[in-house]
Amino acid sequence: MVKKILKLPVLEDEVRELNVGDIVFLNGLIMTGRDHVHKRIVEYIRDNREIPEELKELDGSAIYHCGPIIKEEMSNNKKEYKIYSGGPTTSARMEEFQEKVCNVLNIRLVIGKGGMENTNFKRIGGAYLSFTGGCGAIFVSFIKKVKGVIWEDLGMPEAIWLLEVQDFGPLLVTQDSKGNSLYI
Amino acid sequence: MRSKDKEIKVENFKKVSSLSSEKIYSALKKVLERNAISVAPELIKLLKDKLEIEEKSGNNIATEQLKLIIKNFNYAIEHKLPACQDTGMINILVRFNPDFSFPRDFKDTIIRAIRDATEEIPLRPNCVDPVLGTNSSDNTGHLSPPIYYELDDNVELLEIDVLNKGGGAENMSQLLMLNASVSLKRVKDEVVRIIKEAGGKPCPPVILGIGLGGDATYSMFLAKKALMRPLFSRSEKKEVRKLEDELLEELNRLNVGVMGLGGRTTCLDVRIEWAMRHPASFPVGVIVQCYSHRGSKVVFKRDGNILYEYL
Repeated sequence: MVKKILKLPVLEDEVRELNVGDIVFLNGLIMTGRDHVHKRIVEYIRDNREIPEELKELDGSAIYHCGPIIKEEMSNNKKEYKIYSGGPTTSARMEEFQEKVCNVLNIRLVIGKGGMENTNFKRIGGAYLSFTGGCGAIFVSFIKKVKGVIWEDLGMPEAIWLLEVQDFGPLLVTQDSKGNSLYI
Repeated sequence: MRSKDKEIKVENFKKVSSLSSEKIYSALKKVLERNAISVAPELIKLLKDKLEIEEKSGNNIATEQLKLIIKNFNYAIEHKLPACQDTGMINILVRFNPDFSFPRDFKDTIIRAIRDATEEIPLRPNCVDPVLGTNSSDNTGHLSPPIYYELDDNVELLEIDVLNKGGGAENMSQLLMLNASVSLKRVKDEVVRIIKEAGGKPCPPVILGIGLGGDATYSMFLAKKALMRPLFSRSEKKEVRKLEDELLEELNRLNVGVMGLGGRTTCLDVRIEWAMRHPASFPVGVIVQCYSHRGSKVVFKRDGNILYEYL
């Protein structure tokens, strides 16, 4: 197994070098997004609406299919977000929207569980990284900072959470940009 | 007549046993926290056994997945964090002795415990209005959480089963209305097909609850109830027990594997509950559960003691 530490944002070439079976650790800013985030982004494009400015920071970065448990708490007289758990959700539900979302935000890496057999990572120029389902607690140890939240009206699990991660992994490349897949 | 009526009432009154709402509230709070953070030690042990099997067979991917799963459970307990972010839809099964008298605010007590647990542990708010799409933010709402009641002479006083059921696995559940003439082999094939098609989606290795017979509603309820039976328990009916064992074995030959990535670890346990069926129907309810089977039973004894058991 090849181990790779990637700093976000990544270049397209770096992603194209990833092969199924590689183990990846990520550093940098990622966004969470699941069912309603995907749907809303696609609706915004359809309606020619401007997507939130902060999302442009994700250019070349990763989207994580995850509905975390995060609470706003007081720490040193300052309001801060604290994360309690954040494992992956089933990615298959996002297939309908994934390619469009990746193209619009220029997202290269999709992190989730269970795989996306109908999503073309060759066309995206990206890869699917699988994080072990149910591993929500250990994810907290990879969080440097919960940087912010977008579309909080969708509710805690559905909102976009901007997360600064450190050594987030092991993530397994289960679908690569050459069209290979590890799913049985 | 009058005096006889009175006598019966007095006798009934003596038999009635009650519990304070506060006692029920604090027991539920305790269980909700325990369920979020941990699973049965027997389940961890089985996962470790599976890890050894995968390691020996040289399956690096399954080995790494299982190692992380075990590490995550340890981390969750150590740091008091929800093991999985999907703390589930909270399913509650209340089983009570006919002698038990419910406190008037029994349902409110359950709701209160869930609301407070959601805030304090915290749990993820998982109650969404299906029409408006809004999240109630406290894990309660119209007819929620689902609370099932069962009268049971074998229960000493009151038992409450609390199962935190994640959405990813629940999504893979199915109701099969098979032809009445199907063989048990066909029933097994159908269950195997469901798990094969589900692949990595329900967070395998899965645990299966199956309801055999009954009607459409009842078979699904029995399937859920089977998941509330003790881990690795087997049916009292010999033929059903055989079916449970055979299914477990067949499922582990499927090569779906941990997280759908292949290997010998697809299913951890199969439990079947059954009921009589209509001559025209053969309902089979299949409820899929992830490996992170978070459930507990609270037993309220007549002597005032409270026992806590993992499901």
